[in-house]
Amino acid sequence: MPIVSVIIATHNRATLLPRAVKSAQESGTDVEVIVVDDASTDETAEVCRGMSGIRYLRVERNQREGGARNIGIINSTGDYLTFLDDDDVRLPGSIDLQLKALTASPEAGLIYGQAFIADQNGLATNDFYPPRCPQGDVFWELLSQNFIPCGTVLFSRSCLYRTGLLDESVPGVEDWDLWVRIASLYQVIAVDQPLMVWRKSTPASQQATSRAAQMAKMSGVLLRRKWLKLPRAAAGPRDQRRHVRQEFSRNLASHLVFETARALAIGHFSGAQKNALAALRLHPLASVRVAIRCAVRFLSATARGISLPADLNKGFMHYKRTKASK
Amino acid sequence: MLHQKRMPIVSVIIPTHSRPHLLPRAVESAKRAGAGVEVIVVDDASTDETEAVCRTLEGIKYIRLEHNQGVAGARNVGILASSADYIAFLDDDDLRLPGTLDKQVAALTSNKDAGFVCGPMLMADQEGNLTGEVSGPRSSGEDAFWELLELDFPAMPISVVIRKECFAAVGLFNSKLPGIDDWDLFVRLAELYPVIVLKEPLSIYRKPTSFSGQGSSAQAKHLSRILPHQLNLLRLPRVKMAPLNKQREIRIRTINRIADTLLWNAVQAIGDGAYRFACINTFTALRLRPSRAFYPRRYRKLALALKARLP
Repeated sequence: MPIVSVIIATHNRATLLPRAVKSAQESGTDVEVIVVDDASTDETAEVCRGMSGIRYLRVERNQREGGARNIGIINSTGDYLTFLDDDDVRLPGSIDLQLKALTASPEAGLIYGQAFIADQNGLATNDFYPPRCPQGDVFWELLSQNFIPCGTVLFSRSCLYRTGLLDESVPGVEDWDLWVRIASLYQVIAVDQPLMVWRKSTPASQQATSRAAQMAKMSGVLLRRKWLKLPRAAAGPRDQRRHVRQEFSRNLASHLVFETARALAIGHFSGAQKNALAALRLHPLASVRVAIRCAVRFLSATARGISLPADLNKGFMHYKRTKASK
Repeated sequence: MLHQKRMPIVSVIIPTHSRPHLLPRAVESAKRAGAGVEVIVVDDASTDETEAVCRTLEGIKYIRLEHNQGVAGARNVGILASSADYIAFLDDDDLRLPGTLDKQVAALTSNKDAGFVCGPMLMADQEGNLTGEVSGPRSSGEDAFWELLELDFPAMPISVVIRKECFAAVGLFNSKLPGIDDWDLFVRLAELYPVIVLKEPLSIYRKPTSFSGQGSSAQAKHLSRILPHQLNLLRLPRVKMAPLNKQREIRIRTINRIADTLLWNAVQAIGDGAYRFACINTFTALRLRPSRAFYPRRYRKLALALKARLP
């Protein structure tokens, strides 16, 4: 079987890292685990020296997530690559499962799956993301919404020779950007089952993804300046481009309203305010609509005695009435 | 020979974008520059017959990017594709001198601490004829970091060989900095690793003119991009450990140097009749360092050049 390189970029999380590394080693038979220590100032180096069967790369000057992952990619030897965050966990055997499916369909460049959502302590809940996995030519769909959990992606190294590496200038959304570029050239396939446990950020957790408003702004710039100018999008029909822009604003606004609700639920008011304003600017109508749905949900949840923050953790896609389900 | 073919010693990465007529010359010069050379041509989404031309070239690794990544992104993909321990770069319109890669690799293998090795470049005009100018580091490389910081150390990708494992410590080319990504990388490398300077010329650089449409023709833009980014580089730990007035001096000298370079290029642009280019350069220089406007001697050349052009 070909080698799969699992690239784990880490920064000052020495306590969580061993769990991620161990899960990566157990997820496949021929796995090369590359830990890129992005200039950590804690005991990460000692912890890594104590672990066997990994390649440890020390970055002396902080490169942030995208830069560290690129360094990992450059130093990897596998024909297939996957990223894992230092606080997430791969499920056992999940890489072998994906590898079999990906090598069976030669025109596909990338395979992904679902992720169990875990709380800040890393305890998995029964909820997973995304609720359904679109497959095939997902380019246009992927432009309006990132439904691919970064840690579940397995892609062929040869993709990068056609698309280029991760773009370091868009911290937080560099993975989405790469999936878009891959999807514009290759088919995307998925396994309809959870492959990892994803420690979802909360508005207060100081993870990179806690700054929802900032990320939304950045992805908006990406969509207009880069994605819609890709050869594939530029050649597409005008109506489709307009439709993508609308869908994008609507989805992002709904997402931000959700993040607002989550921030409010834990009493993080400044974050909530930022998210709410960003949502209203993007798509006022959708924001109000989702806000009302949230409120209804909140009332019914309190009536039934369900904890709301847990429900909100599922993300807005669970609340969205998709056309496919009708 | 067979062994060398299997395991190349040095990779020469040539990013190219829509310049198929110049590329074969560059590839040929790279192959003759050393033993165990692996030539990697990264075609940055060219829209012309570059792909067909590359298919006819023998013994190269050809990578075709479907989405334009810019020079920095293309070089990074080249690093990804390389299987050698040492990395060299070449631009599609420049040349490597024969045997130079061997010498540089030998210098790096004999000095295990060094991060990269560089040396002088010969200048050529647009037709490729040598002009007789030589540009290269004047020092022996002990203070390379400080000299690089204040733009006093002319190193270019076409004249360096970098130890590949150093990329893991400092990161790759930054695609956010078009035109100055190489300078940024060299500063970060020199901060952590010693630099070797060779005395003999290593490559031939096709000097951009005001009209040539090369990336480096947009000089005012690139040079003014240096200043905000220099502030980031001045936050590197090695600078922070130095006395504060050293930082200030570096900053002032850099601004003066950029202003003077811009004015000097403006003079040359007037000679070429590129008045727009000259205007942009002059105004950028004045904006950067208004006080320099009060040294009339600096503008004498400019005025003389203008006078010569006027009927």
